[in-house]
Amino acid sequence: MKCEVCSREVQAQPQSKYCELHQKAYENLQKKFEAWKKASNIDWKEYLNEVAKNPLTGIWAKEVAESILSVKE
Amino acid sequence: MEKYTLIVTEKPDAARRIAEALDLKGKPKKAEEKTVPYYMANRDKPLVVVPALGHLYTVVHEHGRRNYYPVFNFKWAPKYVAEKGAEHIKTWIEVISKLAENADSFIDACDYDIEGAIIGYTLLKYACGNKESIATRMKYSTLTKAELEKSYAEQMPHLDFGMIEAGKTRHEVDWLYGVNISRALTIAANRYSGRYNTLSTGRVQGPTLKFLVAREHSINSFVPTPYWSILATVEIQGATYPVDYQKKIMERKAHADSVVQACLGKEGTVERIEEKTIQVAPPIPFDLGSLQSEAYSLFGYTPRRTGNIAERLYLDALISYPRTSSQKLPPVINYKAILNGLSQEPAYTKLASELLAKEELKPREGAKEDSAHPAVYPTGKRPERTLDEAERRIWDLVVRRFLAVFDEPSVKQSMKAAINVNGHHFYLRGRRILKEGWMKYYKPYLRMEEISLPPIKEGETVQLKSIVREDRFTKPPPRYNPSSLLKRMEEEGIGTKATRADIIETLYSRKYITQERIVVTDLGFDVIEVLRQHAPPVVSVKLTRDLEEKMERIQSSSEKREKILEETVDRLKPVLTELKKREMTIGEALSNAVKWARLQERIIGECPSCHTGKLMVLFSRRTRKRFIGCTNYFKTACKTSFPLPQRGTVKPTGRLCKGCGWPLLFVHMRGRRPWNLCFNPACPKKEERRKLLEMRGLQSRGSGATTK
Repeated sequence: MKCEVCSREVQAQPQSKYCELHQKAYENLQKKFEAWKKASNIDWKEYLNEVAKNPLTGIWAKEVAESILSVKE
Repeated sequence: MEKYTLIVTEKPDAARRIAEALDLKGKPKKAEEKTVPYYMANRDKPLVVVPALGHLYTVVHEHGRRNYYPVFNFKWAPKYVAEKGAEHIKTWIEVISKLAENADSFIDACDYDIEGAIIGYTLLKYACGNKESIATRMKYSTLTKAELEKSYAEQMPHLDFGMIEAGKTRHEVDWLYGVNISRALTIAANRYSGRYNTLSTGRVQGPTLKFLVAREHSINSFVPTPYWSILATVEIQGATYPVDYQKKIMERKAHADSVVQACLGKEGTVERIEEKTIQVAPPIPFDLGSLQSEAYSLFGYTPRRTGNIAERLYLDALISYPRTSSQKLPPVINYKAILNGLSQEPAYTKLASELLAKEELKPREGAKEDSAHPAVYPTGKRPERTLDEAERRIWDLVVRRFLAVFDEPSVKQSMKAAINVNGHHFYLRGRRILKEGWMKYYKPYLRMEEISLPPIKEGETVQLKSIVREDRFTKPPPRYNPSSLLKRMEEEGIGTKATRADIIETLYSRKYITQERIVVTDLGFDVIEVLRQHAPPVVSVKLTRDLEEKMERIQSSSEKREKILEETVDRLKPVLTELKKREMTIGEALSNAVKWARLQERIIGECPSCHTGKLMVLFSRRTRKRFIGCTNYFKTACKTSFPLPQRGTVKPTGRLCKGCGWPLLFVHMRGRRPWNLCFNPACPKKEERRKLLEMRGLQSRGSGATTK
């Protein structure tokens, strides 16, 4: 199975939609959401939008955020 | 012909200095055979001093072709056997061999470290015909007359065989790693794609690239989190001063807003003023790593550049041997003599004289030691030639650091006034130097700024002039630069002081990394990915460090060379079997990476017409000319194209034209100075230049007419 963001193979364990690189970025996104929620009281979608447009966000994290947003839309 | 002593040195400059120092009249006779210079001097007996050109011998594959692996059989052979472009080495070795025929005794006067030991040993063994066992050794840390005379008078009775064994092992282990893994990668890529591309890695290169890839992973998957801080100023006697809020970081926006609300337009009271006095110890003497790091942060010189400059200063006898890991300055170097020498140089006269007036000279030293050389220090000699700007800067840095280590600590005072504004505390900070101490010597390279506090007293009322909330985000970890990467290699104990800077340059030249703030290329990522998956020991920092430690133990005879070589082969065998087994998979990944890297090299930037395609350097099969075209030509029929020079190298610079903002190209033609080309035909800069040239043409025609 291919990663939802790039053409690399997805990680076998744990079951994931992403390759190893994007999986790490996805985990970071999930982890940091708590801090954002506490700080600005925003929901998951708003959070992803904020992260996707932030110039300090890493390229893989940005790709994952954009990929999730595009699926939801 | 009278028999003589043959002295072998590492480089021509060192040969000249040694001959000048040892000749009784200080005027040795320079001779030259087939362009190889050597010097004839007279002392207690005739001396002939002949230089090498660094390493003249290297490790090579004993027999067999270049297109297979594993290869574990090797021998030491002249460099010209293994390397293209090293043909001149043959002549060099022939001349040394000829000079050795008439010599009855031999002295190895190469630099006293592992590389110098190997250069001297291989020359004496192979070029001079097994003279390594009867040769003596000169050991010195500076190329000054006094030290060279002393080292000649007090020669070591034989070569340092412990050091030689350690050096041989290092070269052989590096060869085993480099040749086998590089061949495995290259052959895999070639078999898959049918095209030849050299891919290489080395024992230290792999783990170093792994650090960089790990950092790139952290940066690429980084998610910033917001935080807030307060920016405020107070007004005291008509002047404005910035103040720090009691909490530097606030995790909630509402919290920061409430502080602003509570303090806006309010007055505050100075509650207390604290003063602290701090002693700042002098810096420690430079070892090579700290010199390279300081030169990078002050002047932006890469570690290799600093290393090369320091080497030139050493060959000019201006500083001591720079490839040292020592932070010690033993009294035997004669502090007073050095200071006396430096006091002859107008820039240091006053500073050196002040130190000379002290009752006792005791340097502050660091913990690191090096059995072969002390820390880097100036010899006290004045330059015999005009130093270029970079050389002068490094020399000045070494001199000033040397002077600074002898003086007393400096004393700084920091002041902090706490201001209470409606229950919130703000701090007004200042600092000043009470006693300069060592800072006087190192002043040009210090970055401390004095900040004076306004005249305020406890209980006084001040007006909060401005207060705003600042929205901020956490930042990703910083990228490595050549200096911080070198430091990391040092901390991890991989590579040696002599090789680290070169390894970083190799990563650049292999196109595994780019830019000063290092970015790993796709090729770099893929090479590490392949090695991580299929050859983990090759990129293991722990295994590399363990091997370094073992090789260091050879020097003290607590480890055997043969054992380490056997261990290396045992470690490589399963790795190479795995690489061979997965050759097609690895080949596919690497070939694609190489293809992608080549494609990236040709991409110039966004197409100014369609804004979706990319402009890249293309070749027309019909006209057999190169040009710039849009990648959307086949998709959306974007026909944007620009002509290019047909000769020389053309590559993107990654920078934009200041006149029109279009990407700039770097053009390099043989026999011409390289230049940056803006390919926008309507660039305003081009018009400006055309007018300027026209004006110049008119002026020259005008002046020509007057002359006539």
